[in-house]
Amino acid sequence: MSTPSSTNVRFNLRDKFGDWWEGTTRNQRVLFRAAVIVFFFILPFLDNPILGTNESDFSSVLFYPMGMFVIMAIGLNIIVGKSGILDLGYVAFFAIGAYTHAILNLNFGFPFWINVFLGMGFAMLAGLMLGLPALRLRGDYLAIITLGFGEIIRILAINFNFTGGAAGLAGIAAPPTLFGIEFVVDDPKPFYWLLLTLMLLVIWAYLRLVARRPGRAWEAIREDEDVAEFMGVATMKYKLWGFVLGGAVGGAVGAVYAGQVTSITPENFTLQISIMILACVVFGGMGNIWGVALGAALLGYFPEKLRFLSDTRILFFGLLMVVMMNIRPDGIIPRKKREKVYDKNTGQEVTR
Amino acid sequence: MSKKLLEIRNLTMKFGGVVALSEVNLHVSEGEIAALIGPNGAGKTTVFNVATGYYTPTAGEILLDNESVVGVKTYKIARKGLARTFQNVRLFGDMTALENVMTGADSKNKVGLLGSMFGTSTSKKDEERSHKKAAELLNFMGISHRAGQLAKNLPYGDQRRLEIARALALEPKVLLLDEPAAGFNPQEKVELGNLIKKIRDAGFAVLLIEHDMSLVMKISDRVSVLDFGQKIAEGTPSEVQKDQKVIDAYLGVADHAS
Repeated sequence: MSTPSSTNVRFNLRDKFGDWWEGTTRNQRVLFRAAVIVFFFILPFLDNPILGTNESDFSSVLFYPMGMFVIMAIGLNIIVGKSGILDLGYVAFFAIGAYTHAILNLNFGFPFWINVFLGMGFAMLAGLMLGLPALRLRGDYLAIITLGFGEIIRILAINFNFTGGAAGLAGIAAPPTLFGIEFVVDDPKPFYWLLLTLMLLVIWAYLRLVARRPGRAWEAIREDEDVAEFMGVATMKYKLWGFVLGGAVGGAVGAVYAGQVTSITPENFTLQISIMILACVVFGGMGNIWGVALGAALLGYFPEKLRFLSDTRILFFGLLMVVMMNIRPDGIIPRKKREKVYDKNTGQEVTR
Repeated sequence: MSKKLLEIRNLTMKFGGVVALSEVNLHVSEGEIAALIGPNGAGKTTVFNVATGYYTPTAGEILLDNESVVGVKTYKIARKGLARTFQNVRLFGDMTALENVMTGADSKNKVGLLGSMFGTSTSKKDEERSHKKAAELLNFMGISHRAGQLAKNLPYGDQRRLEIARALALEPKVLLLDEPAAGFNPQEKVELGNLIKKIRDAGFAVLLIEHDMSLVMKISDRVSVLDFGQKIAEGTPSEVQKDQKVIDAYLGVADHAS
């Protein structure tokens, strides 16, 4: 049993922020959100020796790995953090999105903007096809199946002709010019902004879902699947939705990735990515979208920032993870909710 | 004679070679508190697990409001009106008390996932309904001051109450309580007895598994006794108390029964 939060006098940054947030007016909140969004959009221009990555191009790092990690971690968080399905093959959705754009563009000339949605669609379809049989299992067994799924997609890509085999596919079209913004290979900024826009949409949908019935259903399933079923939650349906929606995010990101790098090979979609994204989710705080986003950003950022250490940076990176998971085993911003304490007699909320 | 809301006919449940229940007949009528007692391992919780669809019975019939629910999925049976609590409290620990109850109340709502995402008028109405229902039930169970606290941080007694509130949120026809008084002191048991009567008076039929005889004898209208998966007696509390088979099987010598 943990101690009730009312007796917890430790300084808690999140509670401070929560208190402040609850005291703000609607206009202040809109302003705050706008400021945060603007900050992230101008972030590529804030390249300086302290914030920036000195050995590699900062806006490049912002797109990959940071931006990619963040949005994929948010997608995986729906599956792992919210519904409690341990997915070790998330890279499969990413690969499906990337190959959808590559194949449809090279063979049929489909433009990028259509392929993003088709990539999402195919990823969802794959999630449904895998989820229908696999989600009947739980825990370790399910984890092994998803692990296999991630590998199967990569191995299929190596062995099929239409995926270009081990050599992959090259000459994939970048997104066409939009609102006067050109998407060219040597400028990652527009891709970063595209990713950021996608991220905002995902966060919007996510926040709406988790505050309402689906969020409660997912959490109930994560906490105790049997009991959720006894309480009238259609567990299979919500697990499938979680899996498919997480997959949709992966698919969309995959298409964006293919549009930026313009050539993909199966080696871009190894198990390592699944593990890395899962690490982001756990490191940031499973089930808490802000924690997950922060964790993913940091895990994308540090290896680049530490690039001056050349190969030893991986050692420091590992050390950082070991230390962090010891200090904060539930992640940087754990999912534990802010508790409201009510007075026993009046039923009024007690202010601390 | 009042309407039978839950009727179990000739129920047999085998796990491999083990016969957990054999030809059991049970029923719960409108507006009554029925109790199911028996020694450990008699098959009481198995009755709950079979009735709620968690296990498919080997043979027999289960009727919920005259409708067969054998082979129906657990969550559908729950929505049709069979809610339960658990021998060991099983709450959604990382959710607040209010959210726990809202999860139960949600099962009566129509809104789907896309409706929730786009915030349709149905979704808003449903959210409001769940919230109101949950707040009412927390109040009914006397734990509204716990609404915003995480279920895992509540004191044990309040966790028990919260579990009942969550089950009631399904608006069940029959409420199945699995040893609700386990771990309570005598004073708390009396309070719980009154609470269960209050639940019955609010219009829910109750089927109660309980080990505390004084509680069972005080509040139940009818008692059924299971031993080794077979029903050995049924009747009013005083009838069952006098039954020689029951005394042999479970209550032991008479002076333990009080």
